[in-house]
Amino acid sequence: MTAPLLEVRDLSVTLARGGDELPVLDKVSFDIAPGEVLGVVGESGAGKSMAGVAIIDLLVPPLRRSGGTITLGGERLDLLTPRQMRRVRGKRIGFVFQDPMTSLNPVLTIGRQLTDTMRRHLPLSRNEARERAIAWLTRTGLPNPARVFAAAPHELSGGQRQRVVIALALCAEPDLVIADEPTTALDVSVQAHMLQLLRDLHEETGTAMMLITHDLGVIAKMADRVAVFYAGRLIETARTEMLIARPLHPYTAGLMQATPALDAAGVMRVKAIPGSMPGLGATPPGCAFHPRCNRSRDLCRQVTPPLADAGGHAAACHFPLRQEVA
Amino acid sequence: MSAGDVLILNEVSKAYDGRVSMLDRLFGRKAKSLQAVREVSFSIRKGEVMGLVGESGCGKSTIARIAAGLMAPTGGEIGHPGRLRQQMIFQDPFSSLNPRWRVHDIVAEPIRTHGLRPKQEVSARVAELLTQVGLSEADGAKFPQAFSGGQRQRISIARALAGEPDFLILDEPTSALDVSVQAQILDLLRDLQARLNLTSLFITHNLPVVRLMADRIGVVYLGELVELAPTSAIFEHPRHPYTRLLIDAAPDLDAEDRSLHPIPGELPDPSDPPSGCVFRTRCLFATDRCASERPKLRKIGPGEVRCHYDLDLTGRELVA
Ligand SMILES: Nc1ncnc2c1ncn2[C@@H]1O[C@H](COP(=O)(O)OP(=O)(O)O)[C@@H](O)[C@H]1O
Ligand SMILES: Nc1ncnc2c1ncn2[C@@H]1O[C@H](COP(=O)(O)OP(=O)(O)O)[C@@H](O)[C@H]1O
Ligand SMILES: [Mg+2]
Ligand SMILES: [Mg+2]
Repeated sequence: MTAPLLEVRDLSVTLARGGDELPVLDKVSFDIAPGEVLGVVGESGAGKSMAGVAIIDLLVPPLRRSGGTITLGGERLDLLTPRQMRRVRGKRIGFVFQDPMTSLNPVLTIGRQLTDTMRRHLPLSRNEARERAIAWLTRTGLPNPARVFAAAPHELSGGQRQRVVIALALCAEPDLVIADEPTTALDVSVQAHMLQLLRDLHEETGTAMMLITHDLGVIAKMADRVAVFYAGRLIETARTEMLIARPLHPYTAGLMQATPALDAAGVMRVKAIPGSMPGLGATPPGCAFHPRCNRSRDLCRQVTPPLADAGGHAAACHFPLRQEVA
Repeated sequence: MSAGDVLILNEVSKAYDGRVSMLDRLFGRKAKSLQAVREVSFSIRKGEVMGLVGESGCGKSTIARIAAGLMAPTGGEIGHPGRLRQQMIFQDPFSSLNPRWRVHDIVAEPIRTHGLRPKQEVSARVAELLTQVGLSEADGAKFPQAFSGGQRQRISIARALAGEPDFLILDEPTSALDVSVQAQILDLLRDLQARLNLTSLFITHNLPVVRLMADRIGVVYLGELVELAPTSAIFEHPRHPYTRLLIDAAPDLDAEDRSLHPIPGELPDPSDPPSGCVFRTRCLFATDRCASERPKLRKIGPGEVRCHYDLDLTGRELVA
């Protein structure tokens, strides 16, 4: 087994509110191997984005990292100064957010933004950077790359902007790309193009990816492994095929049933999970999912289940689903 | 058209005058008029859920606004045989609720406007509606900001039902919600549908959602209705290449088959659509005829298709 590229251990993030420190992330641990795609899934508010933002150290008060370690390629990111961290962002970790305008400067041309990013991190002359920028725009499948190079962000469509942002995230050849809901705001047809692009570039460059989404369809197509988040905790992780074929945690199974899909008889089905995820500071004792779980018993209300690993498939549940099947 | 129709659109078109933003003016661009909807015809029968699907910008919301009578078409006509009381539910539960009104007053408004209940019964009716959509009577005292996206959509639904509509127009009612909240709202809508025998127009860009909700589906591309058929026919025997590509584009939950199926090419500029068939620039089957002659919407099997050819698209891999 290769050493992980990214190791996150016991990552905790809190939100200060009225003298209290509310847990946003509660001791979350996961690894990403070099070149691996880790899918991060869960309902909105589960803490997916905060995990990504904590890794690149962009949390702003009232949010802060309150514990845990983050190691990238053997180096402890959590010990770096803000100045050192700025060099990690963009160079070693690229990011793509749901709204492309988060990553784009509205008043600079696309070409300027790409060349600036590359020259900040790579030893390139102006001309070399320009050539590479055009090459990146070509690779992302944008029609007329020379025109896009000279264009301002508002002159492009939403889908075109997201392609530019993907080029921006990858142009400094990072080891890891954090993509937070990169296709959520897009139409199905544009979404499929964008996923194809992410996959192609991932295969060409060998970069690892943390792909955050609430869409299990995206996970099924893109992720090597999945981490399921619920109320600030990681509650299940496994290889994608395994997790989808046999989820252990009732929450994961619930998310799958909540995604409209055909059943064995070819009929479209959807089944909602009752209730809603607890808000910040309202996490119930024991298993955070117990109030919504039809399998919960006294133990679930009293003791928080640890993430128990069984052959690469780990779930934080006292009564995981597979026991029943066997 | 039959006696049971509650809404009839006959060759409805809508052209918008060009929009010129400050930036456009700065760059010296002139206004271009835009044919957002072109000769769309369909009717909705009593008790039926009619679905409309298509990519953003294809004209779905324009059709919805015309169907709701909020906007006049620039061509064609729209008919409501039998008097209709209609209500509309929008995608964005944040902007469609007045932040200065309490939930109780928001839900009571259609009851008061239409004089549906005597004054002293309004509060009881609001409580009943809030319960029906999975909220509580106590929630009526709060303001919309106190609620999550899914709960606000429940408030919109309660408000729509308060008007006792016999026709409901839902424009992307779950597109702003995440999967689990979407599932709850879809459950609620299906339950209300069954109990109240509502007639509705359900608009979405999500194919699995429309498959779940609709009895019949219209597929819209660049302002034109390219296919119209019962739901099972749309999915099992699509007749228009665009329908087939749209169905394939959404990633399913099968992690063994990782293939992605993007629709080839890009959406043309809607203010400058292709000649002949609007889809021909992205169609694998396009011929010279498709560039010169606009196909008519013609009957085929249980539905209608706007394509010159009788293509068999069942089970065919359209994208390599
Ligand atoms: N700036 C903030 N102020 C208050 N709460 C916040 C802030 N940022 C995030 N949160 C809360 O932190 C939790 C996790 O948020 P997030 O990571 O964005 O969730 P996800 O990405 O899974 O939807 C949520 O309950 C959210 O409301
Ligand atoms: N008020 C308007 N003025 C000018 N153009 C408009 C207006 N509303 C919508 N459009 C344009 O009409 C087309 C159809 O829009 P819309 O009906 O909102 O599509 P959809 O709901 O399918 O996304 C788009 O190209 C859109 O930009
Ligand atoms: Mg998020
Ligand atoms: Mg719309």
